[in-house]
Amino acid sequence: MTELLVDPFRIPYMQRALLEVVLLGVLAGAVGVFVVLRRLAFVADALTHTVFPGIVIAFLLDQSILLGALAFGLLTAVLLAGIGANRRVGDDAALAILLTSFFSLGVVLVSRTRTFASDLTVFLFGRVLTVDRADLVQTLVLAVLVLAVLAALRKELVLRAFDPAGATAMGYRTVALDLVLNVLIALVVVAAVKAVGTVLVIALMVVPAAAARLLADRVTSMAALSCLLGAAGGWLGLAVSYEVSVDRGVRLAPGATIVVVLVALFLIAASVAPVRRLARGRTPSSAGAPRGVGGQEVRR
Amino acid sequence: MSWLAETFSGGFAQRALLEAVMVGGLCGVVGVHVLLRRLPFFTMALGHATFPGVVLAALLGVNLLLGAGLFGVLVVVLVAALGARERVDDASAVGVVLAGAFALGVLLLSAQAGFAKDLTAYLVGSIVTVQPGDLATTAAVGAAVLAVLAVLHKELVLGAFDRPGLAALGYPVLALDVALLLLVEVTLVASIPAVGTILAVALLVAPAATARLWTDRLGATLALSPVLGAASGVVGLAVSQHWRVAAGATIVLVATAFFAVSLVVAPRHGLAGQLRARRRTAVPRPAPGRAT
Repeated sequence: MTELLVDPFRIPYMQRALLEVVLLGVLAGAVGVFVVLRRLAFVADALTHTVFPGIVIAFLLDQSILLGALAFGLLTAVLLAGIGANRRVGDDAALAILLTSFFSLGVVLVSRTRTFASDLTVFLFGRVLTVDRADLVQTLVLAVLVLAVLAALRKELVLRAFDPAGATAMGYRTVALDLVLNVLIALVVVAAVKAVGTVLVIALMVVPAAAARLLADRVTSMAALSCLLGAAGGWLGLAVSYEVSVDRGVRLAPGATIVVVLVALFLIAASVAPVRRLARGRTPSSAGAPRGVGGQEVRR
Repeated sequence: MSWLAETFSGGFAQRALLEAVMVGGLCGVVGVHVLLRRLPFFTMALGHATFPGVVLAALLGVNLLLGAGLFGVLVVVLVAALGARERVDDASAVGVVLAGAFALGVLLLSAQAGFAKDLTAYLVGSIVTVQPGDLATTAAVGAAVLAVLAVLHKELVLGAFDRPGLAALGYPVLALDVALLLLVEVTLVASIPAVGTILAVALLVAPAATARLWTDRLGATLALSPVLGAASGVVGLAVSQHWRVAAGATIVLVATAFFAVSLVVAPRHGLAGQLRARRRTAVPRPAPGRAT
């Protein structure tokens, strides 16, 4: 077991990759709790795509990629609130249109360059093995910032998630809280996108938190478990990818391997959860309103 | 206008034009149902999740669209099964399936050579290399989807607005839901050669959302949406050929531009219309203050 989990990380670039992935696993795991509780998976998915043109523009202008991604992440958070306010359009349609149009803008810009295909691939899957010291410091700073805001607003965000009407009645500004949460999600995306790519970010934010929700009954334990699963999935995924690629000669992309490991952890949680609940003497109730197909409840 | 005619003089350009019109029109019609049922996120997930099917089909040497289609059916079933769990809400179920399936596809692909290029064509499409076979597939799939939509029109619309009513009338609600999801999936897969998976979602959502800003009537929405979709295809293709940028993405940007303009100028639901309506009914309202 140590052969698999420890040995690959004697190499410096693997150490940096491990550190980055574990940091991001904890960060995304914590923010993911609210993504799952508030059913914001689509918002997270949209943000991972809308920062793309920011990255391309920053790259073309020779500016910091972080800055470009940050600008477009904030722009998305604001536009989302603006278009979603038009009742005829609806949140989900506004999200889909923002997501695809910003992504298209990035593709159009990048299609002017000669390295089109490989640029797009890096954006989607990142290059976790080429993470350098500066990237690590950036991730660390963003992680501390995001976790500090989460800790400070924990009570308000939890209340907003479980009882929006109550939060409004108690005088909290729910619109401001929503905007803060969107900005936090955007910051996680910004922190992660260069190293691990967009597809992995969405997986890190949704999958560990969804698995933790299956197993934990309290928000605190769910958050702890979610961070733990995120970090563990990152570690295990990197190790497996290295082992198979180097020793078995079948190349496995590290980012994608991490996601597959995370989903495997989720499936284990899904199969363990009912057993655990039965063991505690609770019957698996059929509580909950009837749901529509797909990502959203069918209203109207 | 002469540069427009010039742009579409070549054989490949005419094929691209035909494909753009067909895909735009088909997505426009199906998109109305996607919006009525609030399925944009599901559609997005489906776009990502058909990916391993494409890779597997390429490895086995069978038709790519067939692989994507079959895998998409599997995804529909998985999302339905996961979402039925007490503690997994639908949005998270879609998110997990989206990320997992897409990563599986990348994993399969990364073990092969020629990784980046195939992936790009799949994600953002390559309409200028559309083959006569692709055109025939799109035409056949489009005709079939439109025929089913026409036959089930009354039931699907009732299901979107009043599910309990549909069930009370004795219709098989679940079967109709699955039928609609499959129609969306087939449409999406048929659009992949032209605009790729991610951008196909745009053609499924943006024209329909634009049409809904202009009219309150479902019949008018169903007529306007495909026209907007096809127009986005033609204008986007012309612009991309003229300035030599990626075609699929330009088509999406044109469709979004239609939406953005409508959001401002549409008579009733646009920004201008809402301001006018507010002025007309300018009664003193209580300040929207917070309860104390």
